[in-house]
Amino acid sequence: MEGAWILMAETKNPIISCDHVSKTFYSLAGDHLVVDDLSFNVYENEFVVLFGPGQCGKSTILNLIAGLELPTKGKIIVDGEPVVGPSPNRGMVYQTTNLFMWETVMQNVEFGPSVRHVPRKKRREIAQKYIDLVGLTGFEKHYPVKLSGGMQQRVGIARAYANEPKIICMDEPFGHLDAQTRYLMEADVDRITHAEKRTVLFVTNNVEEAIYLADRIILLHNCPTSVHKEYKVDFPRPRDYTAPDFLALREKITDEMDKTL
Amino acid sequence: MKNLSKRLGTLALSLLGIGAVIIIWALAVRYTRIGLLLPSPWEVVKRFAYVCSHTIGKKYTVFGHLLISLKRVLIGFAAASVAGIILGISMGRFKMIEAIFRPIFEIVRPIPSVAWIPLAIVWFGIGENAKFYIIFMAGFVNITVNTFAGAKQVDENVLGAAYMLGASKLQAFFRVVIPSCVPYIFAGMQVGLSTCWMAVLAAEMVSSTAGIGWTITSGQENGDMVQIFVGIIAIAVVGLLMAVLMRWLEKVLCQWRERGS
Amino acid sequence: MDEKLQNTARKRRLQYRLISLCSILVFIGIWYLATAVLQLAPSYSLPSPVKVFQTFITKLTKTAPEGATLGQHFLASLQVAFTGYVLGVVIGVPLGILMAWHKWVDIIVRPVFDFLKPIPPIALIPVMIVLLGITIKAKAVLIFFSTVIPCILNSYSGIKQTKSIHLWVAQTFGASRRQQLFTIAIPSAMPMIFAGLRVAMGSSWMALVAAELLASTKGLGYMISVGRALLRSDLIIVGILCLGLIGIVISFLFDLLEKLFVRGGKER
Repeated sequence: MEGAWILMAETKNPIISCDHVSKTFYSLAGDHLVVDDLSFNVYENEFVVLFGPGQCGKSTILNLIAGLELPTKGKIIVDGEPVVGPSPNRGMVYQTTNLFMWETVMQNVEFGPSVRHVPRKKRREIAQKYIDLVGLTGFEKHYPVKLSGGMQQRVGIARAYANEPKIICMDEPFGHLDAQTRYLMEADVDRITHAEKRTVLFVTNNVEEAIYLADRIILLHNCPTSVHKEYKVDFPRPRDYTAPDFLALREKITDEMDKTL
Repeated sequence: MKNLSKRLGTLALSLLGIGAVIIIWALAVRYTRIGLLLPSPWEVVKRFAYVCSHTIGKKYTVFGHLLISLKRVLIGFAAASVAGIILGISMGRFKMIEAIFRPIFEIVRPIPSVAWIPLAIVWFGIGENAKFYIIFMAGFVNITVNTFAGAKQVDENVLGAAYMLGASKLQAFFRVVIPSCVPYIFAGMQVGLSTCWMAVLAAEMVSSTAGIGWTITSGQENGDMVQIFVGIIAIAVVGLLMAVLMRWLEKVLCQWRERGS
Repeated sequence: MDEKLQNTARKRRLQYRLISLCSILVFIGIWYLATAVLQLAPSYSLPSPVKVFQTFITKLTKTAPEGATLGQHFLASLQVAFTGYVLGVVIGVPLGILMAWHKWVDIIVRPVFDFLKPIPPIALIPVMIVLLGITIKAKAVLIFFSTVIPCILNSYSGIKQTKSIHLWVAQTFGASRRQQLFTIAIPSAMPMIFAGLRVAMGSSWMALVAAELLASTKGLGYMISVGRALLRSDLIIVGILCLGLIGIVISFLFDLLEKLFVRGGKER
């Protein structure tokens, strides 16, 4: 099983490749090295979790891949082309949702297709498909303020998927949610990524979440961020949080994580 | 049901309160020396009814005067809204425009709008244009200040989300910047409208031959206290109606902010 | 946030400041060109900036044509404004707090206040003139009116917005109702009260100028209305600019006061 996975990965070209990427923020207070010599690859339809403790670095990596920020050193290549700016090929799901609060759920989800001038009927269809997929059927006409945190995040996920990007980046999407909702959302993301195959890059600081969702976990150093270790996770899905393998891996990663601090 | 009865209770209490004020006013006029100076509420009501069908001055009934003032306010306010929103948003979004126009605007901003009256009269004569100018200045400053604040607080992350979904600059402007400014624009327009209403009164009191502001000054010149009071009450009622109208409009246009039940 | 932009942040800022400076200079330049050189407008309607500046300097010491120097006008305006304003604040703020804190005060005072609220203070000028004549007292009462209403309004809603959870915390520590008011409600309403003081300042400043325009023998408003009567627009512009300048100074003073009184910063 493990061997087969490696074979598959090696025969394919990476869809995201970070090549010795560094990022320094310059400010009047002084320079701040956030990402230091980071290299990793992500292959097509893989679910990769960037996992690491602490606050700094992880979101910056996603912003770099998204093209919202440019690296100080090194190169990021996505789908064969270097990243120079934002592109609808990369969908983003944010911790703070960043929904358009003045638009209804439907309008939010069909934002991507509508700015690409997809005909109204067609884009309604697309949006409806993803609204149904994330389980928000019946809430199409609601404004986001009226929805709970978990439901808002579902809108965010549907919005990213409706643009039909090749890659979806999720930046601690469940960071603000309570534990119960979090489990539900994790199960849903597992289901959605299974139904709609995409390359997903997922940032989190929660071990359980990482193991539950990932095909591969990249454990990161804290501040400045770089790759510490990688783990392949090939348990059958949906995974059981209390399975012995799960707990063993969890312990292994937690022990290793302590070394990164 | 409970809500309704509670509302009715509050309404009854308010009416009772206003009734009490009127009774105290009436008693004070009847039995104290205030009566030498102030008219009784009964006289005011009687006169009000009278001027609904008879003219104040030579030409207009009280409604005629109100309409004249309202027309002035409407024209000045509309021009001020257009100019204020355009200037506010462009200063808030473009650093260069801010650098050019902000200093000049900051000189104009602290000048109380009524102080423009003499200059407006010298520049435009005592006709309508002077009044439009005064009303324009009164509304323009408030609307620009608020719109500017709104354009400055547009969430860069939400804007980034729009770009990530493939929006062009123009699309992001109309679907993110403008809608998130709307509440601020409205706050500015509310303050602006009430300032405009005040400015038109002042302008008419200083120089005019018609309009609701003129009715009070002509009352003062003739020592006709009842007419002054009729004017004040008409002004207050119209001011109140305008405020209610603006609040209603805000509720309709800014629905997405209502959390609701 | 790329490297270049960060490194040049400081330079950028300087550049924008220079543009701002240029823009003012260009503005004054065009004004000068249009008036002094090309004479597009008659000088009684738009004087050149040089003339305005000269008038400003002479008005600092000379009393002609309306009988007072700039300083005297300023003091006259300020004196009236200050009396009415302080009175309005001293009565308005406590009344607003009481209205929000004691239900029966609310029930009694509220209707009176609702009745007066929509009346623009400017509309009361003729009443004051008839009742009290062209006196300082008339203006002070007018300023009082335009101050007291925003003060009440904002203190009232400031206290009403006190988070009940904060009050409950105080209650669990055994604070009396009075202690709750002074240690919880009033401090948390402070930013709102200050906003009210600012609004009051603005509206009373406007009311004062209007009153001085209509009926007065001193004050900056009077000065500009004389300027209009004599077709001396240089005088008007000096007056207007002074009014604006005073406005800036006052709002600066408010910023200072607010920093002193609003503890823990404004809630966003």
